[in-house]
Amino acid sequence: MSDRMRKILESKRDMRQRLAALPFAEKVKLLEQLRDRSRAIAASGLKRQSSHRS
Amino acid sequence: MKATFAVINQMQADGVIGKYAIGGAVGATFYLEPVATLDIYIFVSFQKAGSLLTVSPIYDYLTARGFKAEKEYIIIESWPVQFLPAGNALVEEALALAVETDLEDVRTWVMTAEHLTAIALQIGRTKDHTWILKFIESGTLAPDKLDQILARHGLLAKWEQFGHKFVEGNK
Repeated sequence: MSDRMRKILESKRDMRQRLAALPFAEKVKLLEQLRDRSRAIAASGLKRQSSHRS
Repeated sequence: MKATFAVINQMQADGVIGKYAIGGAVGATFYLEPVATLDIYIFVSFQKAGSLLTVSPIYDYLTARGFKAEKEYIIIESWPVQFLPAGNALVEEALALAVETDLEDVRTWVMTAEHLTAIALQIGRTKDHTWILKFIESGTLAPDKLDQILARHGLLAKWEQFGHKFVEGNK
């Protein structure tokens, strides 16, 4: 594995640990933001266009 | 989501449901990093009508208060919520031992990480396996506690198979 890839994976792991350590109420707010974003993507039709291409 | 749990708590206070606990992706988020989800799974002790478990009282209670049912969900304060019966001993135990927490002063209960893992193993879909791997990777599981749960509910062989297939194979 290259150094660059190793750093990327470490950085992702650190980010996951930081997010996991947040209080539940803050994590729920993030869940709400993620849900709103998923709904916006679904409503925009991007998902359908992308699935037609694949 | 806080408002959603306030409604569920009121339904509990009104005697429609007994003890409940959050499972699924929202339950896992209590222990892990948040992952996008569109719904909330609530495991619940249902009132029993004869020998059948029934969700009817929940639907009746919520629809009478203006909440809409959509397929297997009821939309409560913008979140689709699926109420699932504690249909076996493992889920009953998970409900009994759920962890109390609060969302900005709204009290709620989440299954333990070990019970979420055992239930995911018992269900066994691909997405359940993904959750198990996330729990293992996070280091949040108490191995002794998990072993005891798996042994009590006859899941040790399945756990071993899971380990061979998904954990040892990646070493």
